[in-house]
Amino acid sequence: MLGFGEVAERLRRSTVQVFAKGARGGGSGVIWKSDGLFITNAHVARNTEAQVQLWDGRRLDARVTSLDPRRDLAALRVTASGLDAVTPGDSQALRAGELVIAVGSPLGFAGAVSTGVIHSLGPLAGMGRQSWIRADVQLAPGNSGGPLANAQGHVVGINTAIVNGLGVAVPISAAVEFVRRGARPSLGVVLRPVRLGMEILRVEPAGAAAAASLHEGDILLGSFDDLSDALDSGREVVRLRFFRGGIERVREVFVPLVARAEAA
Amino acid sequence: MANELAALSNELAAAVERTGKSVVAVHARPRFSSSGVFWRPGIIVTAEHTIRREEEITVTLPDGSSAPATLAGSDSGTDVAVLKVEAAGEPVLPAASDPVPGHLALAIARSEDSGVNASMGIISAVSGDWRTWRGGRLDHYIRLDLTMFPNTSGGVVVNAAGGAIGIATSALSRIAGVAIPAATVNRVLDQILARGHVTRGYLGVGLQPVELPDHHKGLIVLSLEPDGPAAKAGVLIGDILVSLGGTTVDDTEDIQGVLEGHSVGQSVEAEFLRGGSSRKIAIVVGERPRRS
Repeated sequence: MLGFGEVAERLRRSTVQVFAKGARGGGSGVIWKSDGLFITNAHVARNTEAQVQLWDGRRLDARVTSLDPRRDLAALRVTASGLDAVTPGDSQALRAGELVIAVGSPLGFAGAVSTGVIHSLGPLAGMGRQSWIRADVQLAPGNSGGPLANAQGHVVGINTAIVNGLGVAVPISAAVEFVRRGARPSLGVVLRPVRLGMEILRVEPAGAAAAASLHEGDILLGSFDDLSDALDSGREVVRLRFFRGGIERVREVFVPLVARAEAA
Repeated sequence: MANELAALSNELAAAVERTGKSVVAVHARPRFSSSGVFWRPGIIVTAEHTIRREEEITVTLPDGSSAPATLAGSDSGTDVAVLKVEAAGEPVLPAASDPVPGHLALAIARSEDSGVNASMGIISAVSGDWRTWRGGRLDHYIRLDLTMFPNTSGGVVVNAAGGAIGIATSALSRIAGVAIPAATVNRVLDQILARGHVTRGYLGVGLQPVELPDHHKGLIVLSLEPDGPAAKAGVLIGDILVSLGGTTVDDTEDIQGVLEGHSVGQSVEAEFLRGGSSRKIAIVVGERPRRS
Protein backbone atom coordinates (compact mmCIF):
# COMPACT_ATOMS: atom_id res chain seq x y z
CA MET A 1 0.00 0.00 0.00
CA LEU A 2 1.13 3.52 -0.80
CA GLY A 3 0.36 6.23 1.74
CA PHE A 4 1.11 9.92 1.69
CA GLY A 5 4.47 9.13 3.31
CA GLU A 6 5.70 6.87 0.50
CA VAL A 7 4.38 9.19 -2.20
CA ALA A 8 6.04 12.17 -0.49
CA GLU A 9 9.37 10.38 -0.10
CA ARG A 10 9.55 9.54 -3.82
CA LEU A 11 8.50 13.03 -4.76
CA ARG A 12 11.15 14.55 -2.51
CA ARG A 13 13.88 12.78 -4.48
CA SER A 14 12.63 14.40 -7.67
CA THR A 15 12.25 17.89 -6.19
CA VAL A 16 15.09 20.40 -6.09
CA GLN A 17 15.70 23.83 -4.66
CA VAL A 18 16.42 26.48 -7.29
CA PHE A 19 18.50 29.57 -6.61
CA ALA A 20 18.56 32.14 -9.40
CA LYS A 21 21.82 34.02 -9.71
CA GLY A 22 21.70 37.39 -8.02
CA ALA A 23 18.29 36.78 -6.47
CA ARG A 24 17.51 36.51 -2.79
CA GLY A 25 15.63 33.43 -1.64
CA GLY A 26 14.92 30.45 -3.80
CA GLY A 27 12.17 28.41 -5.28
CA SER A 28 11.61 24.79 -6.13
CA GLY A 29 11.90 22.72 -9.27
CA VAL A 30 11.28 19.21 -10.56
CA ILE A 31 13.68 16.78 -12.22
CA TRP A 32 12.14 16.26 -15.65
CA LYS A 33 14.77 13.99 -17.18
CA SER A 34 17.35 11.85 -15.41
CA ASP A 35 20.10 13.36 -17.57
CA GLY A 36 19.71 16.80 -16.01
CA LEU A 37 16.67 18.64 -17.37
CA PHE A 38 14.70 20.53 -14.72
CA ILE A 39 11.43 22.45 -14.90
CA THR A 40 10.61 25.36 -12.62
CA ASN A 41 8.70 28.64 -12.78
CA ALA A 42 9.95 31.47 -14.98
CA HIS A 43 9.64 33.79 -11.97
CA VAL A 44 11.97 31.49 -10.01
CA ALA A 45 14.62 31.10 -12.75
CA ARG A 46 14.57 34.78 -13.77
CA ASN A 47 18.18 34.84 -14.97
CA THR A 48 20.22 32.87 -17.46
CA GLU A 49 22.14 31.17 -14.69
CA ALA A 50 21.00 29.38 -11.57
CA GLN A 51 22.00 26.74 -9.08
CA VAL A 52 19.98 23.69 -8.15
CA GLN A 53 20.29 21.72 -4.94
CA LEU A 54 19.29 18.05 -5.03
CA TRP A 55 17.55 16.24 -2.16
CA ASP A 56 20.90 14.71 -1.13
CA GLY A 57 22.46 18.16 -0.75
CA ARG A 58 24.50 18.22 -3.98
CA ARG A 59 24.53 21.69 -5.48
CA LEU A 60 24.92 21.99 -9.25
CA ASP A 61 25.32 24.93 -11.62
CA ALA A 62 22.46 25.16 -14.10
CA ARG A 63 21.85 27.05 -17.32
CA VAL A 64 18.38 28.41 -18.08
CA THR A 65 17.68 27.14 -21.59
CA SER A 66 14.13 28.38 -22.10
CA LEU A 67 11.66 30.73 -20.44
CA ASP A 68 7.92 31.06 -21.05
CA PRO A 69 6.84 34.03 -18.94
CA ARG A 70 3.22 33.76 -20.10
CA ARG A 71 2.96 30.23 -18.71
CA ASP A 72 5.50 30.98 -15.98
CA LEU A 73 7.68 28.00 -16.93
CA ALA A 74 11.43 27.68 -17.31
CA ALA A 75 13.75 24.84 -18.34
CA LEU A 76 17.13 24.38 -16.64
CA ARG A 77 20.03 22.21 -17.73
CA VAL A 78 22.77 20.65 -15.64
CA THR A 79 25.36 18.05 -16.52
CA ALA A 80 24.34 14.98 -14.59
CA SER A 81 23.06 11.47 -14.99
CA GLY A 82 20.93 8.98 -13.11
CA LEU A 83 18.68 11.55 -11.44
CA ASP A 84 15.22 10.50 -10.19
CA ALA A 85 12.90 12.08 -12.75
CA VAL A 86 9.21 12.69 -12.01
CA THR A 87 6.43 10.77 -13.71
CA PRO A 88 4.07 13.26 -15.35
CA GLY A 89 0.40 12.49 -14.74
CA ASP A 90 -2.67 13.37 -16.79
CA SER A 91 -3.72 16.89 -15.79
CA GLN A 92 -6.63 16.82 -18.27
CA ALA A 93 -8.23 13.97 -16.30
CA LEU A 94 -8.11 15.79 -12.94
CA ARG A 95 -11.33 16.20 -10.98
CA ALA A 96 -12.25 18.54 -8.14
CA GLY A 97 -11.93 16.68 -4.82
CA GLU A 98 -8.97 14.47 -5.82
CA LEU A 99 -6.24 14.21 -3.21
CA VAL A 100 -3.06 16.12 -4.04
CA ILE A 101 0.34 16.51 -2.44
CA ALA A 102 2.74 19.42 -2.87
CA VAL A 103 6.48 19.23 -2.19
CA GLY A 104 8.84 22.17 -2.19
CA SER A 105 10.88 24.55 -0.08
CA PRO A 106 8.31 26.90 1.40
CA LEU A 107 10.16 29.68 3.21
CA GLY A 108 13.38 27.72 2.64
CA PHE A 109 12.37 24.47 4.37
CA ALA A 110 13.54 21.93 1.80
CA GLY A 111 11.35 18.90 1.22
CA ALA A 112 8.30 20.23 3.05
CA VAL A 113 5.06 18.44 2.23
CA SER A 114 1.50 19.73 2.21
CA THR A 115 -1.62 17.82 1.26
CA GLY A 116 -5.15 18.71 0.25
CA VAL A 117 -7.59 18.33 -2.60
CA ILE A 118 -8.12 19.80 -6.05
CA HIS A 119 -10.34 22.84 -5.48
CA SER A 120 -11.26 23.61 -9.08
CA LEU A 121 -9.94 23.72 -12.63
CA GLY A 122 -10.17 26.32 -15.35
CA PRO A 123 -9.11 29.83 -16.35
CA LEU A 124 -8.27 32.55 -13.83
CA ALA A 125 -10.01 35.92 -14.19
CA GLY A 126 -7.78 38.31 -16.14
CA MET A 127 -5.18 35.66 -16.95
CA GLY A 128 -6.24 34.74 -20.46
CA ARG A 129 -7.97 31.58 -21.58
CA GLN A 130 -5.36 29.11 -20.40
CA SER A 131 -6.43 26.65 -17.74
CA TRP A 132 -4.97 26.49 -14.22
CA ILE A 133 -5.24 24.04 -11.34
CA ARG A 134 -6.49 25.51 -8.08
CA ALA A 135 -5.70 23.35 -5.07
CA ASP A 136 -6.86 23.55 -1.46
CA VAL A 137 -3.30 23.08 -0.16
CA GLN A 138 -1.21 25.29 2.08
CA LEU A 139 1.60 26.81 0.00
CA ALA A 140 4.13 29.54 0.79
CA PRO A 141 6.78 31.45 -1.18
CA GLY A 142 9.45 28.89 -2.05
CA ASN A 143 6.90 26.29 -3.18
CA SER A 144 6.97 27.99 -6.59
CA GLY A 145 8.25 25.68 -9.31
CA GLY A 146 7.73 22.55 -7.22
CA PRO A 147 5.52 19.57 -7.97
CA LEU A 148 1.82 19.09 -7.26
CA ALA A 149 1.18 15.34 -7.48
CA ASN A 150 -1.87 13.09 -7.33
CA ALA A 151 -2.43 10.13 -5.00
CA GLN A 152 -0.27 7.92 -7.21
CA GLY A 153 2.66 10.30 -7.00
CA HIS A 154 2.32 11.38 -10.62
CA VAL A 155 3.01 15.07 -11.08
CA VAL A 156 -0.09 16.88 -12.35
CA GLY A 157 1.01 20.49 -11.94
CA ILE A 158 3.81 22.97 -11.19
CA ASN A 159 2.96 25.09 -8.14
CA THR A 160 3.10 28.71 -9.23
CA ALA A 161 1.14 31.14 -7.11
CA ILE A 162 -1.15 31.66 -4.15
CA VAL A 163 -4.42 33.43 -4.95
CA ASN A 164 -6.95 34.12 -2.16
CA GLY A 165 -5.31 31.38 -0.09
CA LEU A 166 -5.59 28.80 -2.88
CA GLY A 167 -2.57 27.14 -4.43
CA VAL A 168 -2.47 27.80 -8.17
CA ALA A 169 -0.51 25.40 -10.39
CA VAL A 170 0.31 25.22 -14.10
CA PRO A 171 -1.20 21.98 -15.46
CA ILE A 172 1.53 19.47 -16.28
CA SER A 173 0.18 19.20 -19.84
CA ALA A 174 1.48 22.76 -20.37
CA ALA A 175 4.92 21.72 -19.05
CA VAL A 176 4.96 18.69 -21.39
CA GLU A 177 4.09 20.99 -24.29
CA PHE A 178 6.74 23.50 -23.15
CA VAL A 179 9.45 20.82 -23.08
CA ARG A 180 8.40 19.41 -26.43
CA ARG A 181 7.81 22.65 -28.34
CA GLY A 182 9.64 25.34 -26.41
CA ALA A 183 8.36 28.64 -25.10
CA ARG A 184 5.36 30.17 -26.78
CA PRO A 185 5.89 33.49 -28.55
CA SER A 186 5.77 36.51 -26.30
CA LEU A 187 5.97 40.26 -26.77
CA GLY A 188 8.57 40.80 -24.05
CA VAL A 189 6.58 43.40 -22.18
CA VAL A 190 5.02 43.88 -18.77
CA LEU A 191 1.43 45.07 -19.13
CA ARG A 192 -1.13 46.53 -16.81
CA PRO A 193 -4.82 46.82 -17.63
CA VAL A 194 -6.10 50.38 -18.05
CA ARG A 195 -9.44 51.75 -19.20
CA LEU A 196 -8.47 51.94 -22.86
CA GLY A 197 -6.57 48.67 -23.07
CA MET A 198 -3.20 47.60 -21.68
CA GLU A 199 -0.44 49.99 -20.74
CA ILE A 200 3.15 48.88 -21.34
CA LEU A 201 5.02 49.23 -18.04
CA ARG A 202 8.31 47.69 -19.12
CA VAL A 203 9.87 46.59 -22.42
CA GLU A 204 12.49 43.87 -22.28
CA PRO A 205 15.57 44.91 -24.27
CA ALA A 206 15.81 41.84 -26.51
CA GLY A 207 12.07 41.16 -26.86
CA ALA A 208 9.79 41.35 -29.88
CA ALA A 209 8.16 44.58 -28.69
CA ALA A 210 11.53 46.33 -28.34
CA ALA A 211 12.50 45.24 -31.84
CA ALA A 212 9.25 46.77 -33.13
CA SER A 213 10.07 50.02 -31.23
CA LEU A 214 7.16 49.91 -28.81
CA HIS A 215 7.78 52.11 -25.77
CA GLU A 216 6.95 52.17 -22.13
CA GLY A 217 3.73 54.16 -21.71
CA ASP A 218 2.22 53.01 -25.00
CA ILE A 219 -1.32 51.73 -24.56
CA LEU A 220 -2.21 48.62 -26.53
CA LEU A 221 -5.83 48.39 -27.63
CA GLY A 222 -7.84 45.24 -27.05
CA SER A 223 -8.00 42.73 -24.23
CA PHE A 224 -5.44 40.43 -22.69
CA ASP A 225 -7.39 37.44 -24.03
CA ASP A 226 -7.30 38.83 -27.60
CA LEU A 227 -3.55 39.39 -27.33
CA SER A 228 -3.01 35.84 -26.03
CA ASP A 229 -5.07 34.45 -28.89
CA ALA A 230 -3.06 36.47 -31.44
CA LEU A 231 0.25 35.27 -29.98
CA ASP A 232 -0.93 31.65 -29.98
CA SER A 233 -2.44 31.80 -33.48
CA GLY A 234 0.74 30.44 -35.07
CA ARG A 235 1.24 33.53 -37.24
CA GLU A 236 4.78 34.89 -37.38
CA VAL A 237 3.68 38.51 -37.18
CA VAL A 238 0.99 40.08 -35.03
CA ARG A 239 -0.69 43.39 -35.80
CA LEU A 240 -1.15 45.64 -32.78
CA ARG A 241 -3.07 48.89 -32.52
CA PHE A 242 -1.97 51.35 -29.86
CA PHE A 243 -2.06 54.92 -28.54
CA ARG A 244 1.10 56.92 -27.90
CA GLY A 245 1.12 60.19 -26.02
CA GLY A 246 -2.57 60.86 -26.56
CA ILE A 247 -5.71 59.31 -27.90
CA GLU A 248 -6.25 61.41 -31.02
CA ARG A 249 -4.58 58.91 -33.34
CA VAL A 250 -4.63 55.11 -33.35
CA ARG A 251 -1.21 53.84 -34.41
CA GLU A 252 -0.46 50.42 -35.77
CA VAL A 253 2.59 48.18 -35.63
CA PHE A 254 3.43 44.77 -37.05
CA VAL A 255 5.48 42.78 -34.54
CA PRO A 256 7.56 39.87 -35.86
CA LEU A 257 7.61 37.13 -33.24
CA VAL A 258 10.62 35.10 -32.23
CA ALA A 259 10.26 31.47 -33.29
CA ARG A 260 9.93 28.76 -30.65
CA ALA A 261 13.14 27.50 -29.19
CA GLU A 262 13.55 23.96 -27.95
CA ALA A 263 13.60 23.74 -24.19
CA ALA A 264 15.43 20.45 -24.14
CA MET B 1 -0.77 1.04 -9.49
CA ALA B 2 -3.70 0.38 -7.22
CA ASN B 3 -3.37 1.77 -3.72
CA GLU B 4 -5.63 2.86 -0.91
CA LEU B 5 -4.74 6.51 -1.24
CA ALA B 6 -5.73 6.48 -4.91
CA ALA B 7 -8.97 4.69 -4.00
CA LEU B 8 -9.79 7.35 -1.41
CA SER B 9 -8.88 10.07 -3.90
CA ASN B 10 -11.28 8.59 -6.46
CA GLU B 11 -14.01 8.28 -3.85
CA LEU B 12 -13.65 11.95 -2.87
CA ALA B 13 -13.63 13.11 -6.50
CA ALA B 14 -16.73 11.02 -7.19
CA ALA B 15 -18.49 12.56 -4.17
CA VAL B 16 -17.65 16.05 -5.46
CA GLU B 17 -18.79 15.23 -8.97
CA ARG B 18 -22.11 13.74 -7.82
CA THR B 19 -22.84 16.42 -5.22
CA GLY B 20 -21.71 19.18 -7.58
CA LYS B 21 -24.82 18.46 -9.67
CA SER B 22 -26.85 19.87 -6.76
CA VAL B 23 -24.68 22.94 -6.08
CA VAL B 24 -25.24 26.36 -7.68
CA ALA B 25 -23.50 29.73 -7.54
CA VAL B 26 -25.71 32.44 -5.99
CA HIS B 27 -25.35 36.05 -7.14
CA ALA B 28 -26.96 38.22 -4.49
CA ARG B 29 -24.11 40.36 -3.15
CA PRO B 30 -21.36 42.58 -4.53
CA ARG B 31 -17.96 41.13 -5.48
CA PHE B 32 -17.91 37.47 -4.46
CA SER B 33 -20.79 35.17 -5.30
CA SER B 34 -21.82 32.58 -2.74
CA SER B 35 -23.13 29.06 -3.23
CA GLY B 36 -26.46 27.34 -2.79
CA VAL B 37 -27.76 23.78 -2.78
CA PHE B 38 -30.81 22.13 -4.34
CA TRP B 39 -32.35 20.76 -1.15
CA ARG B 40 -35.69 19.81 -2.70
CA PRO B 41 -36.92 20.03 -6.32
CA GLY B 42 -36.92 23.70 -7.33
CA ILE B 43 -35.80 24.76 -3.84
CA ILE B 44 -32.28 26.08 -3.20
CA VAL B 45 -30.95 26.62 0.33
CA THR B 46 -28.13 29.09 0.88
CA ALA B 47 -26.52 31.11 3.70
CA GLU B 48 -28.69 34.08 4.68
CA HIS B 49 -25.73 36.39 5.34
CA THR B 50 -24.69 36.16 1.67
CA ILE B 51 -28.06 37.46 0.44
CA ARG B 52 -27.58 41.21 0.31
CA ARG B 53 -30.44 42.06 -2.04
CA GLU B 54 -33.97 40.73 -2.38
CA GLU B 55 -34.40 41.34 -6.08
CA GLU B 56 -32.48 40.48 -9.21
CA ILE B 57 -30.99 37.38 -7.63
CA THR B 58 -29.56 34.95 -10.16
CA VAL B 59 -28.01 31.53 -9.82
CA THR B 60 -25.50 29.71 -12.01
CA LEU B 61 -26.86 26.19 -12.42
CA PRO B 62 -24.64 23.08 -12.54
CA ASP B 63 -24.89 23.02 -16.36
CA GLY B 64 -23.36 26.51 -16.45
CA SER B 65 -26.55 28.34 -17.43
CA SER B 66 -27.87 31.29 -15.48
CA ALA B 67 -31.39 31.43 -14.06
CA PRO B 68 -33.40 33.99 -12.08
CA ALA B 69 -34.26 33.06 -8.49
CA THR B 70 -36.80 34.48 -6.08
CA LEU B 71 -36.22 34.76 -2.36
CA ALA B 72 -38.88 32.60 -0.69
CA GLY B 73 -37.78 33.72 2.75
CA SER B 74 -34.90 33.69 5.17
CA ASP B 75 -33.99 33.31 8.80
CA SER B 76 -31.02 35.30 10.01
CA GLY B 77 -31.00 33.44 13.35
CA THR B 78 -29.94 30.17 11.75
CA ASP B 79 -28.36 31.83 8.66
CA VAL B 80 -30.70 29.96 6.30
CA ALA B 81 -32.20 31.54 3.17
CA VAL B 82 -34.46 29.80 0.67
CA LEU B 83 -34.55 30.52 -3.06
CA LYS B 84 -37.01 29.22 -5.62
CA VAL B 85 -36.02 28.57 -9.22
CA GLU B 86 -37.88 27.12 -12.17
CA ALA B 87 -35.41 24.29 -12.74
CA ALA B 88 -36.06 21.27 -10.52
CA GLY B 89 -32.37 20.49 -10.05
CA GLU B 90 -31.01 17.39 -8.37
CA PRO B 91 -31.58 17.54 -4.61
CA VAL B 92 -28.63 16.50 -2.46
CA LEU B 93 -28.59 13.12 -0.79
CA PRO B 94 -28.83 13.21 3.00
CA ALA B 95 -25.98 11.71 5.02
CA ALA B 96 -26.68 8.15 6.12
CA SER B 97 -25.02 8.62 9.49
CA ASP B 98 -24.53 11.42 12.03
CA PRO B 99 -21.36 13.51 11.77
CA VAL B 100 -18.52 12.43 14.09
CA PRO B 101 -15.49 14.54 15.08
CA GLY B 102 -12.46 13.41 13.11
CA HIS B 103 -14.38 12.24 10.06
CA LEU B 104 -13.45 13.69 6.69
CA ALA B 105 -15.67 16.46 5.38
CA LEU B 106 -15.78 18.21 2.02
CA ALA B 107 -17.25 21.67 1.45
CA ILE B 108 -18.57 21.78 -2.10
CA ALA B 109 -19.29 25.14 -3.69
CA ARG B 110 -19.59 26.70 -7.11
CA SER B 111 -18.56 29.91 -8.79
CA GLU B 112 -19.17 31.10 -12.31
CA ASP B 113 -15.44 31.14 -13.14
CA SER B 114 -14.23 27.96 -11.50
CA GLY B 115 -17.31 25.76 -11.76
CA VAL B 116 -17.72 23.26 -8.96
CA ASN B 117 -15.01 23.51 -6.31
CA ALA B 118 -14.06 21.62 -3.19
CA SER B 119 -12.11 22.04 0.02
CA MET B 120 -11.42 19.22 2.42
CA GLY B 121 -10.82 18.87 6.12
CA ILE B 122 -12.31 17.16 9.12
CA ILE B 123 -15.26 17.67 11.42
CA SER B 124 -13.57 19.11 14.46
CA ALA B 125 -16.46 19.19 16.92
CA VAL B 126 -20.07 18.08 17.21
CA SER B 127 -22.32 18.98 20.12
CA GLY B 128 -26.03 19.12 20.84
CA ASP B 129 -28.39 22.08 20.61
CA TRP B 130 -26.58 25.35 20.08
CA ARG B 131 -27.90 28.88 20.06
CA THR B 132 -26.12 31.10 17.55
CA TRP B 133 -25.07 34.66 18.35
CA ARG B 134 -27.75 35.64 15.83
CA GLY B 135 -30.43 34.17 18.10
CA GLY B 136 -31.41 31.04 16.16
CA ARG B 137 -31.13 27.47 17.37
CA LEU B 138 -29.08 24.85 15.55
CA ASP B 139 -29.89 21.21 16.31
CA HIS B 140 -26.14 20.53 16.52
CA TYR B 141 -23.04 22.64 16.61
CA ILE B 142 -20.88 21.16 13.84
CA ARG B 143 -17.48 22.86 13.66
CA LEU B 144 -15.43 22.38 10.51
CA ASP B 145 -11.65 22.23 10.25
CA LEU B 146 -11.44 23.18 6.59
CA THR B 147 -10.60 26.29 4.62
CA MET B 148 -13.59 28.52 3.99
CA PHE B 149 -13.12 30.44 0.73
CA PRO B 150 -15.29 33.45 -0.13
CA ASN B 151 -17.75 31.36 -2.15
CA THR B 152 -17.85 28.41 0.26
CA SER B 153 -20.68 29.91 2.36
CA GLY B 154 -24.01 28.47 1.25
CA GLY B 155 -22.30 25.41 -0.22
CA VAL B 156 -22.93 21.94 1.08
CA VAL B 157 -20.82 20.03 3.59
CA VAL B 158 -20.73 16.32 2.80
CA ASN B 159 -19.04 13.30 4.29
CA ALA B 160 -16.61 11.14 2.29
CA ALA B 161 -19.54 9.18 0.87
CA GLY B 162 -21.17 12.37 -0.46
CA GLY B 163 -24.04 12.50 2.04
CA ALA B 164 -25.12 16.03 3.04
CA ILE B 165 -24.27 16.96 6.63
CA GLY B 166 -25.44 20.56 6.30
CA ILE B 167 -24.88 23.99 4.77
CA ALA B 168 -21.47 25.66 5.14
CA THR B 169 -21.35 29.11 6.70
CA SER B 170 -18.56 31.37 7.87
CA ALA B 171 -20.93 33.74 9.69
CA LEU B 172 -21.81 31.75 12.80
CA SER B 173 -18.35 31.43 14.33
CA ARG B 174 -15.32 33.67 14.33
CA ILE B 175 -12.85 30.84 14.64
CA ALA B 176 -14.14 28.24 12.21
CA GLY B 177 -16.59 27.35 9.52
CA VAL B 178 -19.83 25.81 10.79
CA ALA B 179 -22.23 23.41 9.11
CA ILE B 180 -25.88 24.35 9.61
CA PRO B 181 -27.17 20.81 10.32
CA ALA B 182 -29.50 19.15 7.79
CA ALA B 183 -32.16 18.75 10.54
CA THR B 184 -32.12 22.52 11.17
CA VAL B 185 -32.28 23.24 7.44
CA ASN B 186 -35.33 20.98 7.09
CA ARG B 187 -37.08 22.56 10.08
CA VAL B 188 -36.44 26.15 8.97
CA LEU B 189 -37.21 25.33 5.35
CA ASP B 190 -40.64 23.91 6.26
CA GLN B 191 -41.51 27.08 8.17
CA ILE B 192 -40.27 29.38 5.41
CA LEU B 193 -42.19 27.50 2.74
CA ALA B 194 -45.35 27.58 4.86
CA ARG B 195 -45.17 31.20 6.06
CA GLY B 196 -42.32 32.94 4.24
CA HIS B 197 -40.40 33.42 7.46
CA VAL B 198 -39.62 31.79 10.79
CA THR B 199 -41.89 32.94 13.58
CA ARG B 200 -40.38 33.41 16.98
CA GLY B 201 -42.34 33.65 20.19
CA TYR B 202 -42.33 37.08 21.83
CA LEU B 203 -43.31 38.44 25.24
CA GLY B 204 -42.51 42.11 24.71
CA VAL B 205 -40.36 42.53 27.81
CA GLY B 206 -36.83 43.74 28.42
CA LEU B 207 -35.23 41.57 31.12
CA GLN B 208 -32.11 41.74 33.26
CA PRO B 209 -30.84 38.87 35.43
CA VAL B 210 -30.86 39.67 39.16
CA GLU B 211 -29.91 37.73 42.26
CA LEU B 212 -32.68 37.26 44.79
CA PRO B 213 -32.23 37.39 48.59
CA ASP B 214 -32.60 33.60 48.75
CA HIS B 215 -29.64 33.28 46.34
CA HIS B 216 -31.87 32.15 43.53
CA LYS B 217 -31.85 34.10 40.34
CA GLY B 218 -34.60 35.78 38.41
CA LEU B 219 -35.11 38.21 35.58
CA ILE B 220 -36.35 41.68 36.41
CA VAL B 221 -38.62 43.45 33.92
CA LEU B 222 -36.86 46.66 32.88
CA SER B 223 -39.05 47.61 29.97
CA LEU B 224 -42.41 46.68 28.52
CA GLU B 225 -43.50 46.91 24.92
CA PRO B 226 -46.73 48.97 25.03
CA ASP B 227 -49.62 46.67 24.13
CA GLY B 228 -47.15 43.78 23.91
CA PRO B 229 -48.14 40.29 25.09
CA ALA B 230 -46.76 40.80 28.62
CA ALA B 231 -48.25 44.29 29.04
CA LYS B 232 -51.64 43.01 27.94
CA ALA B 233 -51.45 40.21 30.51
CA GLY B 234 -50.84 42.74 33.29
CA VAL B 235 -47.09 42.43 33.82
CA LEU B 236 -45.53 45.58 35.35
CA ILE B 237 -42.06 47.04 35.20
CA GLY B 238 -40.17 45.84 38.28
CA ASP B 239 -41.77 42.39 38.35
CA ILE B 240 -39.21 39.62 38.68
CA LEU B 241 -39.76 36.61 36.43
CA VAL B 242 -38.69 33.38 38.13
CA SER B 243 -40.29 30.71 35.99
CA LEU B 244 -41.88 30.40 32.57
CA GLY B 245 -43.95 27.45 31.36
CA GLY B 246 -42.97 25.54 34.50
CA THR B 247 -39.23 26.02 33.92
CA THR B 248 -37.15 28.15 36.27
CA VAL B 249 -35.42 30.90 34.37
CA ASP B 250 -32.29 32.78 35.32
CA ASP B 251 -30.99 33.88 31.94
CA THR B 252 -32.57 35.40 28.84
CA GLU B 253 -31.48 32.34 26.87
CA ASP B 254 -33.80 30.25 29.04
CA ILE B 255 -36.71 32.42 27.86
CA GLN B 256 -35.88 31.77 24.20
CA GLY B 257 -35.65 28.07 24.95
CA VAL B 258 -39.11 27.99 26.56
CA LEU B 259 -40.67 30.10 23.81
CA GLU B 260 -39.38 27.73 21.17
CA GLY B 261 -41.68 25.05 22.65
CA HIS B 262 -44.70 27.36 22.50
CA SER B 263 -46.25 28.45 19.24
CA VAL B 264 -47.57 31.94 18.67
CA GLY B 265 -51.07 32.36 20.12
CA GLN B 266 -50.52 29.72 22.81
CA SER B 267 -50.75 30.70 26.47
CA VAL B 268 -47.73 30.29 28.72
CA GLU B 269 -47.79 30.52 32.51
CA ALA B 270 -45.28 32.94 33.99
CA GLU B 271 -44.44 33.19 37.70
CA PHE B 272 -43.40 36.61 38.92
CA LEU B 273 -42.31 38.07 42.24
CA ARG B 274 -44.07 41.35 42.87
CA GLY B 275 -43.51 43.13 46.17
CA GLY B 276 -42.00 39.96 47.61
CA SER B 277 -44.97 37.75 46.87
CA SER B 278 -45.33 35.29 44.05
CA ARG B 279 -48.04 35.57 41.44
CA LYS B 280 -48.83 33.59 38.32
CA ILE B 281 -49.80 35.36 35.12
CA ALA B 282 -50.85 33.68 31.87
CA ILE B 283 -49.30 35.42 28.84
CA VAL B 284 -50.45 34.75 25.28
CA VAL B 285 -47.25 34.35 23.25
CA GLY B 286 -47.03 36.94 20.47
CA GLU B 287 -44.95 36.96 17.33
CA ARG B 288 -41.68 38.81 17.44
CA PRO B 289 -41.89 41.82 15.14
CA ARG B 290 -39.58 41.29 12.16
CA ARG B 291 -36.84 43.71 11.32
CA SER B 292 -37.60 45.30 8.00
